[in-house]
Amino acid sequence: MHPILARPGNLAAYIAIWVPLGGLLAGLLAMQGVLGWFNAVIVAVPLSISYGFLCLSAWYVTGGSPVERTGALRVGVTAVAASLLSSALWLLIARAWLGLIASFGEWTDVTAPFRAAAPTFFGFGFLLYLLAMAVSYLAAAFAVSRNAERRGLELQVLAREAELRALRAQLDPHFLFNSLQSISALTTVEPPAARRMCLLLADFLRETLALGSRDRIPLSAELALVRKFLSVEQVRFGDRLRVEIDADAAGDARVPPLLLQPLAENAVTHGVAHLIEGGVVRIRAERRVASLVITVDNPCDPDRPDGRGTGLGLRNVRERLESYGADAFLTAEERDGRFWVRVEIPLQERPVRETP
Amino acid sequence: MTDTLRIVIVDDEPLARAVVREYSEGDPGIDVVADCANGFEAVKAVADLKPDLVLLDVQMPKLDGFEVLELLGRDQAVVFITAYDQYALRAFEVHAVDYLLKPFSAERFQEAMQRARERLRAKTALPLEEIVRDAKPRTGPSERVLIRDGANVHVLPVDKIDYVEAQDDYVAFKSEGKQYLKDQTLAAVEGMLDPARFVRIHRSFVLNIDRIAKVELYAKDSRMATLRDGTRLPVSRAGYARLSELL
Repeated sequence: MHPILARPGNLAAYIAIWVPLGGLLAGLLAMQGVLGWFNAVIVAVPLSISYGFLCLSAWYVTGGSPVERTGALRVGVTAVAASLLSSALWLLIARAWLGLIASFGEWTDVTAPFRAAAPTFFGFGFLLYLLAMAVSYLAAAFAVSRNAERRGLELQVLAREAELRALRAQLDPHFLFNSLQSISALTTVEPPAARRMCLLLADFLRETLALGSRDRIPLSAELALVRKFLSVEQVRFGDRLRVEIDADAAGDARVPPLLLQPLAENAVTHGVAHLIEGGVVRIRAERRVASLVITVDNPCDPDRPDGRGTGLGLRNVRERLESYGADAFLTAEERDGRFWVRVEIPLQERPVRETP
Repeated sequence: MTDTLRIVIVDDEPLARAVVREYSEGDPGIDVVADCANGFEAVKAVADLKPDLVLLDVQMPKLDGFEVLELLGRDQAVVFITAYDQYALRAFEVHAVDYLLKPFSAERFQEAMQRARERLRAKTALPLEEIVRDAKPRTGPSERVLIRDGANVHVLPVDKIDYVEAQDDYVAFKSEGKQYLKDQTLAAVEGMLDPARFVRIHRSFVLNIDRIAKVELYAKDSRMATLRDGTRLPVSRAGYARLSELL
């Protein structure tokens, strides 16, 4: 939408500018002695306003985009051509207007004054159209920079939302309320343990919040988060939850944040929690030639009612893998009484610093 | 009953049991007769000890709180404990079942105990079937059948069931040469099992169609199904129609 036509107020202000410009044109004509002052005003002001409407087309000629996106040469050629064309068109309008005024009997011959005034009209029209185009380009550039600013703000808001979403996703109500229940129990039974649990939970939530909005984090940071989560769950489940993490062969690969935590959570809530004797949650990370392979596996109850719930955690992880496109894989299967999730992502390592 | 409330605590989390124990110890009117880490222990403890009240956690391994409730029957009062479960909470509200939300205070616990005493005095029974039915999201046909045998619980996966036979007030689930009796009607069993896998072939029999070896004409309007293990079961005319539709 044309920025001036978008609101009636804008259009009125714009037309108001063309009235003094018309006065200026009348002055030029009068000083050149082509027309008397009165006639010059009668001729020039309405024509000027009509040219104002004609100049609105400059916005469409510039395509509403700033100079740097179009290329200087093309801009120059287009501007000159459009200005020549529109001032020629304006000249035709001026001729018709003079004819109309003449028919009211002021003049009998309009050809002579038109010829005399034509160069002034043409020059005036040419320059003003160029000016209109320049203003259009400026306005477009201004709009682009304002959009960029707004997008920047929107991105900030989105990042903040991503953090909150990450937190909400981690905050399974069961997890939180059960943890609070454990703390409530420990306060009398074992006060130092209650404090440890509070601190663990606080650390876990804080790290989730901090990591959730980042693009890539070191695997070690993700594993630290997973260990905290599992430590909180171990307080709840006691001996039933055992944990084995082996990531020595993984180096310092980069991973999307919260890649493993949902898998660890699934392993507990849909695996170990359903078993009376509990079991071991195993996490292994290994570096291949060009990829990082992580497996999370846990024992599961073969008689449990069919797959309720594991879907959300796996979906969250799949979403996090989307940034790798077709280069990342996630497979999940039940085999030998255990549930296996295998994630493979392209190997990305911290840029190696050159040593002198 | 006398003044002492004999309770059994059932929760798979040791710390959760510890809280209830701690709150109970502050009240001379409460006697904790057992604490159980799972539903099997709970069924056994309740059968052996006949408590007045069971405090029952909803989320537990193998048998959840509602399955335990179904197995226990209505001889004792129940107060559910849960951290968060939207379906369960709705069912509790609808059927006025008392429940405790983790974490809960000693005052809230006392209140629940008081209400349980009143219920026991008034001998109001819980609408058991309705609670069990409403407390879980509908997830299609059952995948397993729970059968209580005294203090023991059998968990029978439905694909291990050969057929189900109506016997007087009971139904008998036949599986791998054994039979498990349950206090239920055959119509209820039929409604619970997957209609694509189980079919009522006769007034007294529901059959797992995977077990069929052959069906032969036996007499006019009556057929006989032979199962893979050689068992022969009668098939009524309506039963044969249902069976042909499925096969």
